[in-house]
Amino acid sequence: MIPILQVLVDAISLGSLYALATLGVGLVFGVLRLINFAYGDFITVASYALILPAAGATAEVFIGRWPWPFLVAAVVLVVVILALVSEFLVFRPLRTAKPAVLMIGSFALGYIIQNAIIVVYNARPKAVGIWSGLGEAIQFGGLRVPGLQIVTIVATLSLLGALVLFLKRSPFGIQMRAASEDFLMARMLGVRGNTVIGTAFVISGFLAAIVSLLFVAQVGVVSFHMGVPLMLFAFIATVIGGMGSLTGAVIGGYAVGFASIFLQALLPEHLRTFRDAFVFAVVIVILLVWPQGLVMSRTARERV
Amino acid sequence: MTDPLVQVDDIHVHYGRLAAVRGVSLRVDPGEIVCLVGPNGAGKSTTLLTIAGVLSPTQGAVQVAGTPIAGLAPERVAGLGLSMVPEGRHIFGALTVEENLRIGTYGRADRREIEREYARILGEFPVLAERRRTMAAKLSGGEQQQLAISRALLTGAKILLVDEPSLGLAPMMVERVYDILRDLRDRRGITLLIVEESTERAVDVADRIYVLRRGLIELAGTSAGLADREHLQRAYFGFDQSAGDDRPATPR
Repeated sequence: MIPILQVLVDAISLGSLYALATLGVGLVFGVLRLINFAYGDFITVASYALILPAAGATAEVFIGRWPWPFLVAAVVLVVVILALVSEFLVFRPLRTAKPAVLMIGSFALGYIIQNAIIVVYNARPKAVGIWSGLGEAIQFGGLRVPGLQIVTIVATLSLLGALVLFLKRSPFGIQMRAASEDFLMARMLGVRGNTVIGTAFVISGFLAAIVSLLFVAQVGVVSFHMGVPLMLFAFIATVIGGMGSLTGAVIGGYAVGFASIFLQALLPEHLRTFRDAFVFAVVIVILLVWPQGLVMSRTARERV
Repeated sequence: MTDPLVQVDDIHVHYGRLAAVRGVSLRVDPGEIVCLVGPNGAGKSTTLLTIAGVLSPTQGAVQVAGTPIAGLAPERVAGLGLSMVPEGRHIFGALTVEENLRIGTYGRADRREIEREYARILGEFPVLAERRRTMAAKLSGGEQQQLAISRALLTGAKILLVDEPSLGLAPMMVERVYDILRDLRDRRGITLLIVEESTERAVDVADRIYVLRRGLIELAGTSAGLADREHLQRAYFGFDQSAGDDRPATPR
């Protein structure tokens, strides 16, 4: 019984990380019809913000040493500024372009960010330890749960709660939901397009920062392409959740997290190296059964 | 003579290389109901979207409440006191009725005026009051049309652009919607520019009419003056080969 519970906790924890990342992708997609592939690089930048910008072989941790509230605030600030600058310099001039053009723009932005990191920090991975105290496990009966997993799950649930409240209750949130459904109509009713898109990028950057911190605290290493696989899984989760639906984004994130962990636990040992291939196979099956994703968004339905 | 709320001067609008509007001029004065009629593809909706700041004319100019709107985003044009009730209504289906109604009020500072207007709308449209907390997608077509009109009113607009309000509605509901629109002018002094396919209904509801065909104004005048149906039909369908070319764009 215990091993299954252990796997379940792992799955919830990884699913939480993916759910947060997917929401960051989904919010921007909602208002701009942009799959921002540079989002993975926002995550990378967040981790590099912990160390001093220097090309040396070992990392010099700076912000990463601060007490956690300051650390989180500083990293969030860095990524939010990066997200807003990206919006202004890259995506605003492309606003009226086709979604494919926007997406290619995001790839270009991603490569620029990655190469900027290589120039400033060099291309080698660096060890960065933060919150080492969270590595210790907490005992629940026979179940041992690392503190970091508890933090991940609690942080995710609180952020989800806060986001739901924001979207349902605040004027900004309601305008954002309206704009996700029908951007032009919202603008014709006086909703400021730039404000809504800016807000989406701010929240997206915020989520990227949190994902990055939870991730780096776990793996203890930063590298210039560390965000790429996270973005890949977030993208997949967006697709199977149903593009444009935030509920779907959360469900998709957890689905991908669960698939990864359970395959890791259930696959025969010699196949575990190919776990991700099996995850993608599951994704293909899901899309064959539900081509619109698990949660069909209203906007998608209208276009059918 | 009062200043017009909407003044359109010789606008040309293109979709790529295709000219949808080829020199349209019109004006709407405060308190008027003006109808833009014409067959499918005449450029009626294009004209409306250009006035709303969604499309940019390749030539010519639009003024709303005396302000040239060239280069203004749709939300800025809305800020000039103009709001759109678009074809197909474009209700936010995943939002509640109440959220739909309030969406246009967040940019407004006059809280007390908003609450007064909100209460008045719930009084006049009991069906919206009853279904305040329902997802707007669940409303019937007629209810959605009422919601779209109310939503536009709550932006504080003085002029509404209404695109084919009768589309997809049962005949009885069409009557009701036109009663509502007439009421807006009579009881609130709202100015209306309505796009309509049917000349009958246009003559019935409007003070003045512009007949649009193939991107040009074929005919313009007061509803009473255009009661000569044959003349109107000819402009609408374009049976008269010589019509249009030698006619001044704004006869008024």
